[in-house]
Amino acid sequence: MNKIKIGIIGMGRMGITHFSIINSHPQVDIIAVADTSKITLDLLKKYVSGLQVFKDYKELIETARPDAIIVCTPPSLHFDICKLAFKNNIHVFAEKPFTADVNQAKSLMEMFASKNLINQVGYVNRFNDVFITVKKYIENGLIGEIIRFKSEMFSCTVAKKEQTESWRSHVGNGSGAVYEIAAHAIDLVDYIIGKPDKIVGTSMNKFLSKNVEDIVSSTFIYKNGCSGTIYVNWSDTSYRKPANKLELFGLKGKILADQHGMKIFLNDDDSKSGYKKGWNTVYITDIFTPVPFYVRGNEFTRQLYHFADSIIAGGKAGICTFVDGYNVQYIMDQLFIDAKKNSIK
Amino acid sequence: MDKIDKIVFGDNQFFGINHMSQEKAQQLSEKFFDINNIYKVYDLAFKNGIEAVMLNSNDRAKEICKHFCENKKTHGHLAWYPSIPYPHKYANLVNEKGIFPAINDVLFSNNSALGVLGMVVKGGKAVISKDAIELMKMLVDMEVKIYKGLDVKVVFLQNIVVDLILGYGIKDVFYEYCEYIRKKYNALPGLITQNMPYLKAKLEEWGIEEVVICSSINKIGYLMSPDIPSYMESIQNNDSSKYQLMAMSTLASGAIRATEAYEFINSLNIQSVVFGASSEKNIQETISLIKL
Repeated sequence: MNKIKIGIIGMGRMGITHFSIINSHPQVDIIAVADTSKITLDLLKKYVSGLQVFKDYKELIETARPDAIIVCTPPSLHFDICKLAFKNNIHVFAEKPFTADVNQAKSLMEMFASKNLINQVGYVNRFNDVFITVKKYIENGLIGEIIRFKSEMFSCTVAKKEQTESWRSHVGNGSGAVYEIAAHAIDLVDYIIGKPDKIVGTSMNKFLSKNVEDIVSSTFIYKNGCSGTIYVNWSDTSYRKPANKLELFGLKGKILADQHGMKIFLNDDDSKSGYKKGWNTVYITDIFTPVPFYVRGNEFTRQLYHFADSIIAGGKAGICTFVDGYNVQYIMDQLFIDAKKNSIK
Repeated sequence: MDKIDKIVFGDNQFFGINHMSQEKAQQLSEKFFDINNIYKVYDLAFKNGIEAVMLNSNDRAKEICKHFCENKKTHGHLAWYPSIPYPHKYANLVNEKGIFPAINDVLFSNNSALGVLGMVVKGGKAVISKDAIELMKMLVDMEVKIYKGLDVKVVFLQNIVVDLILGYGIKDVFYEYCEYIRKKYNALPGLITQNMPYLKAKLEEWGIEEVVICSSINKIGYLMSPDIPSYMESIQNNDSSKYQLMAMSTLASGAIRATEAYEFINSLNIQSVVFGASSEKNIQETISLIKL
């Protein structure tokens, strides 16, 4: 069969990584990239033979005519790019956060639902071996009905007082600890627990960034009686790498999980899983599945291969669609509304 | 090609790196916050026969290199296996400024006056001609600078860089890196990868030989892409005069017992093992188990 033709829009850190990963897929041909940096385009043109480069994404879409695009621009540009892709019947993988505006996210979700186009958002934890396993255990009732949860994320993305201006420093571009970091912690809640019915007690701190928040916390409440908190800090220099921490407390036990493993406490032996009453430890080495090509973690390869394979299979993308992207966007929007309400003038 | 050491002492244990557990990583990071605790472990390793050291060019490597340079009388026989770059040094800058301004910053802001002068001249040229190879050489020089005065045997490029460029399939970068390490540093070029069979196949296709390839090799296939059978085939058919293979993550972050792990390793056509440990018992045990 013919290879699928992919274009990548935005060759920053994620665009550069995604190129390397998906270029290894035997049925994918990366035909074009678009970026505003001339240096980046010149370098790619020089070292990657046959690659078309564009300064303008519109030109990439209309001239190179890819089957699919991977969008890694600042989030505020996602809406226009996805809309143009839709008009041209192009499958879309959009990096997270999905957009910088909840109404735009809603509109894109509805738009793509009306056509048979693969649409996926880059919430990569949904492809992590540990979190996939946690989800399976919760669905199988290993720790019973969830009463309470805690979803945290820490990184040292912004490690010192902001000096230079970039797209990350402005509100409205889709930057800040909520869009960039909390998005992952929220998506894990949406993935494993579901969308909350009410959001309360949100507060945000700004101490290194000039215009956007560095720390955020909030409480999610559900009609069924479940509730939980999120706490996120993107200026925590004690973390060398970004880390998600998830704690789930259920009627039959609890699970503490991060990207590398989990601890399970059970009130009784569970014959189905083989886990014993008391503490059980599950390491990534117990549950990992290998990927065809590794660049920066199995989950990154798995998510892009899922996108390409969904296109090749001619079906609908099953994991992390624009519906999921919208859900997270909606929750983030509620966080900002709630935080504003709670601030003391 | 010069033969590499059969056993190389690694450094992940010192710098809060543990692929399996953030908690364990944190404990180790606390223990080795005092650099003297690092030197104590090195001394235990040397006492038990270690003569080769792999050291990543991270924040603390400079001080460690200086220490061993100053103690050449007792430690002059050691062979050094630097691995470059320290990716997290760049990660934050890239987040803040974008990739090229970040490289610019690393090259031109954090050097001694003399270093800056040389690099600006070279760098000016590199930027004008948009020559990634020149840029790469400058970055290599900057990273390798701290090992000056030590007996450097292999200069490894970290997997985050190797596998990224491998994905793009850019032969020139690999070719030029290997040539540069051989000519400028009189050392063997080394490539760390999580995709060993694919990398080796590409190097063979490109005619790039006499390279040391370091990759995770363990019984359970952890961090071995695409799979165990591909590794077994690639290792079995390897001509060690062209590619010397070094195994890392042999215990898969502790998932495999040492006896079992090295029984497997010893049965393979592998030239070297890099391992990290922080207790004398584990160091002794590992050394006694490796029989290549």
